[in-house]
Amino acid sequence: MDLSQLPQQIVNGLMLGGVYVMVAVAFTLIIGMLNFLNFTVPALFMLAAVLMWAILEGHGIALDLTAITVLLVLAMMAADRLQHAKLPAPLKTGAALGLAAAACIAVWLVISLKPGDPVFAWLDGAAGKSGRWVVGIAVALFTVAMLSLLIERFTYRYMKAKYGDATEHALPLVSSLGFLIVLEHTVISTWGSDSLTTASPFGHASFTLGPVLFSVPQLISLILSLAIVFGLSIMLRTTKLGRALRSIAERPDTAPLMGVEVGRIVPVVYVIAGLLCAIAGILFTINYTTVDAYVGDTVATVAIAGMVLGGLGNVWGAIIGAMLIGMVEVMSIYAVGATFKKIPIWGLLLMILIVRPTGLFGHTAIGKGKF
Amino acid sequence: MLLEVEGLDVRYGRNHAIKGLDLELAQGEIVTVLGANGAGKSSLLKAVQGTVKPAAGTVRLNGETVTGWSSPKRVRAGLTLVPEGRQIFVSLSVHENLQMGAYTRSDGFEQEIEEIYDRFPNLAARRDMMASVLSGGEQQMLAISRALLAKPRIMMLDEPSLGLSPILVQSLFELIEDLNRDGLTILLVEQNTHMALQTAHRGYVLELGATVLSGTAEELLADDRLEEAYLGGN
Repeated sequence: MDLSQLPQQIVNGLMLGGVYVMVAVAFTLIIGMLNFLNFTVPALFMLAAVLMWAILEGHGIALDLTAITVLLVLAMMAADRLQHAKLPAPLKTGAALGLAAAACIAVWLVISLKPGDPVFAWLDGAAGKSGRWVVGIAVALFTVAMLSLLIERFTYRYMKAKYGDATEHALPLVSSLGFLIVLEHTVISTWGSDSLTTASPFGHASFTLGPVLFSVPQLISLILSLAIVFGLSIMLRTTKLGRALRSIAERPDTAPLMGVEVGRIVPVVYVIAGLLCAIAGILFTINYTTVDAYVGDTVATVAIAGMVLGGLGNVWGAIIGAMLIGMVEVMSIYAVGATFKKIPIWGLLLMILIVRPTGLFGHTAIGKGKF
Repeated sequence: MLLEVEGLDVRYGRNHAIKGLDLELAQGEIVTVLGANGAGKSSLLKAVQGTVKPAAGTVRLNGETVTGWSSPKRVRAGLTLVPEGRQIFVSLSVHENLQMGAYTRSDGFEQEIEEIYDRFPNLAARRDMMASVLSGGEQQMLAISRALLAKPRIMMLDEPSLGLSPILVQSLFELIEDLNRDGLTILLVEQNTHMALQTAHRGYVLELGATVLSGTAEELLADDRLEEAYLGGN
């Protein structure tokens, strides 16, 4: 082992950890508030990474996926309005069927007419090929935010309405797993399951500091991701929204007695968690330039390990655990090679869990009410 | 009437918790709702606050029907509940708990928090500590203070004396009288019949979800049937 490489590897570990941090914090937000492991986190990470790739590579069809997402969200919003409308029952059923048919036709029109291509061509002409990364970021963030609203309905709102407390059931976990599978197969049926590669829009911008080579986009990613998670943590500690989130996390039935409209705040949490995944996915594509339909699984399992290492449901634990696991991954590749990198990661996790079952900074109780 | 409950019916599945209950609360009153365990007292408060959906009946606040309103909307309209078991947020600091109480307000309330600290020096001394360090009595003071910060017109309290020492119960009821003198209307659910009737102006006695007895506090204290209601009648 060549020890002169060590400083470089530490830097690489921090960079990789930066990606894991955002994914781990996204998991943590949902576990802390709603007490379930949200499998749409890897799905949204993957989707953002793939959409970013698609736009960089000039695939206008990515915009069709965005359009379909928007259509579905609008249809669900209309359905919610309809459910609370004061209408006679037969009229309501009729309107619901009409709405479903309209949504199906609209989605079918998008699939067959592919309006994404001309729209993209126009955007591309306006922004220029070098400006594609701006379009890609906007499309990925917007699509994931919209999708988060849809996911919130199917993993929380409707179950809450039916069972009173969505989080006491395994249903959210299963329906989030459903979203993961649907989204992975949407990507596979659109672009296949092979690796999708692109050229970094920032080329190989880098500088050296002593023996260490810094890639500029990676450095920016690390700073950005730490700034975002620290900002989020400060928001949770000091703002009115943060207090409301923590009060819902601890006592979802008491928070409404304070006037907190839980039903309006939970979608905000889903969108925040979704945007964290999306930003991580976008940065992943820009930095590592190779994605595929399963990239979310790979990154999210490691992020889960980081989160558990730090202590389940604790934002600071997730941040530190994810940075640590990124470091361990890079060091393992350096020491034992990429083939065996998973053994040190999961071995370390198992050993720490034997010594400290709550993780490094966790609480003793598993469940709700921890940030 | 500030609060009118008419023909209220609450069901949990097959369990018929409240059967066609009527209740009135005038501005400035302390009204207590008494009854054995399972008489439907807590369900009544939950239905009035909006955390439980009634199967039938209306709740009117200051003449306006609020039956379909969400709980947060009722808080904004001046109705607040101090829930059974205090239910303070133990992962928040004492100060943050008070800020949560004022969640619906956009005007300045820091001065009111300071007044609460003046009234309860124990809370002031622990303002930045997690609320989990508070004793039972302090938690109850925090729960009531938190509800006060919503600037309610009506405060409903669900068994506030539960688990408190006699001395603390004494000061709790003094606090309730104080708040009432300052203009707050109070609906008090209690197991501690004697203390409740000494404090309240009027009372209702529930049995199996229906009113079996109502009247002024003096009338109820003198009524032999009060004890029967607790022992399950007959």
